[in-house]
Amino acid sequence: MDFPKIKSEAVADWERFRNNQKTHILVGTATCGRAAGAIDVLDTLMQKIEQRGIDAEIAQVGCMGHCYAEPLVIISKPGSPAIIYGYVTTGMASVLVDNCLLKDDPCLEFALGALEENELIPTIYDMPRFEYENRLILRNCGDIDPQNINHYIVNGGYAALESIFKMTQEDVIDQIKKSGLRGRGGGGFSTGQKWEITKNAGGKSTYVICNADEGDPGAFMDRAVLESDPHSVIEGMIIAAYAVGAAQGYVYVRAEYPLAVETVQHAIDQAKDMGFLGQSIMGSKFNFEIEVFRGSGAFVCGEETALIASIEGKRGMPHNRPPYPATEGLFGMPTVVNNVKTFATVPLIIENGADWFSAIGTESSKGTAVFALAGKVVNTGLVEVPMGTTLRNVINDVGGGVPHHKKFKAVQIGGPSGGCLPESALDLPVDFDSLKEAGAIFGSGGMVVLDEDNCMVEAARYFLDFTQKESCGKCTMCRLGTKHMLDMLQEIVNGNGKMEYLELLTDLAEDIEEGSLCALGKTAPNPVLTTLRYFHDEYEAHIIEKRCPALQCKNLIAYYILPDKCERSCDACVGVCTAEAIFSGKKRIKVVDQDKCVKCDTCVAACPPEYNAIIRMSPASSVPETEKRPEKAKK
Amino acid sequence: MQPITISLNGREVSGKQGMTILELAREMGVDIPTLCDDPNLTPIGACRICLVENEQNGDLLASCVTPIETGMVISTQSERVIVHRKTIVKLMLASHPDSCLVCNKGNTCTLRRVATDVGVGMIEFERIADAVEIEQLNPFIERDLSKCVLCAKCIRADQELVVVGAIDYFNRGFDAKPATFGDVPLEQSECTFCGTCVAMCPTGAIMDRGRSYHGTASDEVETTCAYCGCGCSISLGLKGDRIIAITPSKKGGPNNGTLCVRGTCASDVIHSADRLTQPMLRQEEELAPASWLDAIEAAAEGFKRVKGLHGPEALAVISSSTCTNEENYLLQRFTRDVLGTNNIDSSARLHNAVNRAALASTIGIMGANSDLDGLEQSDVIIVVGADPDASAPIVSYAIKRAVKYCGAKLILIDPRETGLSTFADIHIRPDYGTDAALLGGMAKAIVDEGLLDEKTVVEKTNNYDGLKASLSKYTAGSAAIEAAHLYAKANSASIVWGTGLTQHAGGADSVRALINLAILTNQTSGLYALEKECNDRGAFTEPLQGFSALEMIEQIEKGAIKSMLIVGENPILAFPDSGRVEKALSLLECLVVSDMFLTETALIADVVLSSSSFAEKEGTYTNFEGRVGKLNTAIDPIAGSLPDWNIILKLAEAMGSPMPFDDINQVSDEITALVGNESKSGPASFAPVDYVAPSDDTNKEYPFKLLTVSDLYSLGSGTSISHSYRLNKYTSEVYVEIAEEDASKLDIKDGDQVKIATPVGELTAIAKVSDSIPTGTIAIPQTLPTGSANVLFDITLDNETKTSLAKTCNVSLEKVVSNG
Ligand SMILES: Cc1cc2nc3c(=O)[nH]c(=O)nc-3n(C[C@H](O)[C@H](O)[C@H](O)COP(=O)(O)O)c2cc1C
Ligand code: SF4
Ligand code: SF4
Ligand code: SF4
Ligand code: FES
Repeated sequence: MDFPKIKSEAVADWERFRNNQKTHILVGTATCGRAAGAIDVLDTLMQKIEQRGIDAEIAQVGCMGHCYAEPLVIISKPGSPAIIYGYVTTGMASVLVDNCLLKDDPCLEFALGALEENELIPTIYDMPRFEYENRLILRNCGDIDPQNINHYIVNGGYAALESIFKMTQEDVIDQIKKSGLRGRGGGGFSTGQKWEITKNAGGKSTYVICNADEGDPGAFMDRAVLESDPHSVIEGMIIAAYAVGAAQGYVYVRAEYPLAVETVQHAIDQAKDMGFLGQSIMGSKFNFEIEVFRGSGAFVCGEETALIASIEGKRGMPHNRPPYPATEGLFGMPTVVNNVKTFATVPLIIENGADWFSAIGTESSKGTAVFALAGKVVNTGLVEVPMGTTLRNVINDVGGGVPHHKKFKAVQIGGPSGGCLPESALDLPVDFDSLKEAGAIFGSGGMVVLDEDNCMVEAARYFLDFTQKESCGKCTMCRLGTKHMLDMLQEIVNGNGKMEYLELLTDLAEDIEEGSLCALGKTAPNPVLTTLRYFHDEYEAHIIEKRCPALQCKNLIAYYILPDKCERSCDACVGVCTAEAIFSGKKRIKVVDQDKCVKCDTCVAACPPEYNAIIRMSPASSVPETEKRPEKAKK
Repeated sequence: MQPITISLNGREVSGKQGMTILELAREMGVDIPTLCDDPNLTPIGACRICLVENEQNGDLLASCVTPIETGMVISTQSERVIVHRKTIVKLMLASHPDSCLVCNKGNTCTLRRVATDVGVGMIEFERIADAVEIEQLNPFIERDLSKCVLCAKCIRADQELVVVGAIDYFNRGFDAKPATFGDVPLEQSECTFCGTCVAMCPTGAIMDRGRSYHGTASDEVETTCAYCGCGCSISLGLKGDRIIAITPSKKGGPNNGTLCVRGTCASDVIHSADRLTQPMLRQEEELAPASWLDAIEAAAEGFKRVKGLHGPEALAVISSSTCTNEENYLLQRFTRDVLGTNNIDSSARLHNAVNRAALASTIGIMGANSDLDGLEQSDVIIVVGADPDASAPIVSYAIKRAVKYCGAKLILIDPRETGLSTFADIHIRPDYGTDAALLGGMAKAIVDEGLLDEKTVVEKTNNYDGLKASLSKYTAGSAAIEAAHLYAKANSASIVWGTGLTQHAGGADSVRALINLAILTNQTSGLYALEKECNDRGAFTEPLQGFSALEMIEQIEKGAIKSMLIVGENPILAFPDSGRVEKALSLLECLVVSDMFLTETALIADVVLSSSSFAEKEGTYTNFEGRVGKLNTAIDPIAGSLPDWNIILKLAEAMGSPMPFDDINQVSDEITALVGNESKSGPASFAPVDYVAPSDDTNKEYPFKLLTVSDLYSLGSGTSISHSYRLNKYTSEVYVEIAEEDASKLDIKDGDQVKIATPVGELTAIAKVSDSIPTGTIAIPQTLPTGSANVLFDITLDNETKTSLAKTCNVSLEKVVSNG
């Protein structure tokens, strides 16, 4: 293989893509963009451009991370700075074509910022988030066309692969060990060590599996990487395969990620065509094939032993470790299982050296962390920061803080089995160990911000409900223990809790953590334990006072219309009430018939903001005595 | 490998690498409670009852799945361990139903025992009611999953031991349970009701379903199953004088923890209301109850009279392959010494003679010469003319395990699709009766392609040249060549065959052809001749000049035989051409029948002697492997019955020539003293086969080939098993499989009633349109719930072995009644 030649061809391709004298339009069409309507925007742009006869090239790129502002469109016209537009609708797309492309109006009202320094508008890099962000894993996401291998090559892709053939297997493993890379799949096990064990297990054959199951409903960074920069993962897998001596690899992607499946498959085919995969990789003696396996499995299928069972054609259920996959994995052979992001990091380490990598992050956690920021935060989306960045920086500076001037209450980190950390924990540097200490986990990298309107008991119940339903059912602790915990939480939010429950919950949670077979069970009680630890008063309020401090738990609240705020002539609430529970009382002041109210919350939204007369009260008994509905005259 | 030393409850102990903590603890006599662990199953660490603490780091480990590691400091009784165990049991009990109190599992429930052992005390968890419906649609197994602790023993038993694949985990979270695919009732799944899961379930979640059996067994007796040639070791659970549960023996046996539906359920015949509870005598044309004294006397008088009038050659005896070795031996002596004739034969001939003839003349053995473990360890297995799913279930389990878990390759030679088809690497579907040609072709391929060590073969065997010369007339198709390669290159190859091979004309030649294959490749220790009935192998003896069973029928017709003793056999159903057999038997001057039931044959007898079941006596059966299975008396003979051996002794005494035995053990001792080594030694001899292709003799009037097949739910000559109310409830109708093409030509649909006829008889059956049999053929079970396929066959004797050829015949087929 003539890598220099491939590279120069790639450069030429990239130049055509980026730097010629034509107008360029990039549309982010990863799943996050598509969900927001990116394909319609793309179609509109293409139609319009053709109609208007504009000479412009449109390309699709992956996820840019600003998922809150999807669909995103970047326009770069010769002579003016590249500008990124957010929240683009089909209507806006037409306007952009007519005004920005046809005329010279840059439509700054739609712009998020420019991508390069200019006189006109600030660049997006001036946004506070870029002070904290360091995009290593997401390095190419949103910048390149994921369908085009040349884009990856031009940005340094496959250079690491080229260099390993001068190294021994041990050298590669040493580099990864020295870099301090820990698995990004949640467990945080040393990747180099895992590879070393696998290599030394000396199986008849050895496998490399990329875990892209990503079963946590709130997390989508693995999907984003696969859809936006698939070759970074493939290259990482090939390097791993070389290091451990594997000839066969699998990418285990959930079937609910069709675009990721398609993109990865396409990338594999391309890599094979060009000689980065398959027989005699890059002219060496090394052979390696990758197959995409579509998992239709459950959350638990992300657990490595369950995942392996699933590839073997069995029901995806975890089994005891040891044996660990590294010694007895797929078909009983030594197997490396790493997360998407772990693999995507590997080429960078090989290329830039272990020292470069270990300079980023904290003492025990090197490199960067990717979070899927969601919930009550302004900038939802993907965030990549160096390990050790504080939660406050991530939520407030990168995430833009809690919207609508509400008060921050907690952040749930690590997916459904992560922990809920309070305001006081916000100065924690995020890394594997400090999160664990605080009761959360790195987990899937999901980060859900909760504000004052979120009840913490309900939050715990909500997350446990997910893990309980997703428990594979194999072991007693997880199957039955979490069910009992869930039932108790349900009783508490229903207002039927007992104080004994709190101790029982804690004891049971500890039993489950210690006695479950796999990490699903071992971590499932985390939300309950952390909320008990940091928000004990909310539990007590629910149980003793039958009060939900966040006014969220339906059974513990009542709706009340403040008589002095009600604008008598307005009937907005009466009309929307689904239960016909609101009636006009004396002097036409509206009153909620508590017996009829189903607590659907529609009236609160309907009451015009200038009156703001309807409030929730808890406990329900705190609602002042109101007028009774007059008996209807019988006909 | 270095032993690994750990500290166990403060004691230094060592074990082999790879051993689990639980295994080592058991070896050291340290008890750890378990619920999901079973020595026959892969450990999964599900119940968590077996947690122990590693005090080195405070980890709690499931001891059943955690291998020992140097330096572990294990406590099986630490405070944390105890607390955890209690929590687990409490969690289980909190969702256990109140019906626990009246559960038939009673004191055999492991959950109850563990709960008592760990001493749960008060349960602080709220109860979770589990509204589960009890499944009780089928007559064999009842499931009440509210009692399930999800130990997954049933799932593993199903998948790992019997390899049926009927059940798996279903749902997740609290709703997780063992269920069939799609949670349909068992009878709509692959389930064969083998009962292995029933025996394994630690709680009352899966129970044997016998409405009349209630309560818990208070005693257990180990014995041997009587319902096929496998001879499973079973344990009869007793309550008082009733057998209320049958489980696989915990001591292993050929079945190693498994059973089949016949083994677990058919024994309800023992307590069947239809059983004969006293002897009967024909008085004025009618059979009437009689005392033992009168009945024995009458029988002896009859024999004496006939002997006096016509000489001893007018007497004959038919014994059964369901009688014990001891009883068969006694009958031999009774016939020769007391009656003074050589006319004794056993129904074993019908099943077994062909194999004897072929095996004896080639490698000098009597039957299979290796056990099931050997079969399971083979890397290539040929199954020819056998449907072990139905005829020898535990053989089928072993084959499936070998294929699924040990990577064995299966070559299936059978015109039909059977339960093994999906496990087969190669499935060759030859025409009926052409097996010898196919096997000859394989032998030719082995010789032609040099897949053998010719030098050794020439040195160590006889008649290789004869074989080689005989092979020229065969050709091998590509599948046969592929099969030959697989077989010849195997490290350890086995061949399993059954009646599909032996009950055709020239059956012995087909068996020889496959033995030739084994000799060519030096695989003669992997020959498995399946047997049909529980003691086919033990009951068979070469007749000394006397007539064979079917010849006796001819001799009766000729007037040469005038009186007969039939023990444990029902020739009218078991022999071909039922009508002719019945007519012949009714010509006898004195017919004495010993049986548990008033069979068709007993009905025309002059004296009927009520005999006991296998559970009511001692003795031995020899299974197909040659393994001797012991019968132990579980219950006293059911009122008014006597074991056959006892009956024979009484008859001898009444005839005035008492035999020198007081009990059955003396008989066993004498047999042991007499019988030396069964097998001859010496070089194996090839037996060239002079194969004649079967002519297509179907004709206009009888255009279909009928094939009799084995059926899981009905086996034997209908003597006993047909009285099992559970088996009957499940299959009370006769089904005939008809190939799709034929069915559509005759406008026959599933469920239609059809008539099958031959020149000698006819029967009606329900049509089952199937794509697993070849066009032009139809298949019905040999034994039917309401009779026997033998009504359709005439008595055609195989020249060589005097056995009947009741495997195929030509029939006509017509629709009688449309199904709706
Ligand atoms: C319930 C459960 C779900 C998991 N899901 C995922 C997942 O979606 N993706 C993933 O990479 N790891 C997941 N893991 C962790 C894997 O078991 C495994 O540790 C990881 O793939 C190893 O890769 P790493 O070393 O690169 O982190 C899950 C673990 C558990 C217990
Ligand atoms: S902890 Fe939960 S998910 Fe893990 S094996 Fe046990 S039941 Fe299954
Ligand atoms: S039914 Fe019985 S054997 Fe099956 S999982 Fe439940 S308790 Fe275990
Ligand atoms: S396989 Fe045969 S011996 Fe075993 S239980 Fe079934 S009928 Fe009895
Ligand atoms: S016996 Fe070990 S977990 Fe059940």
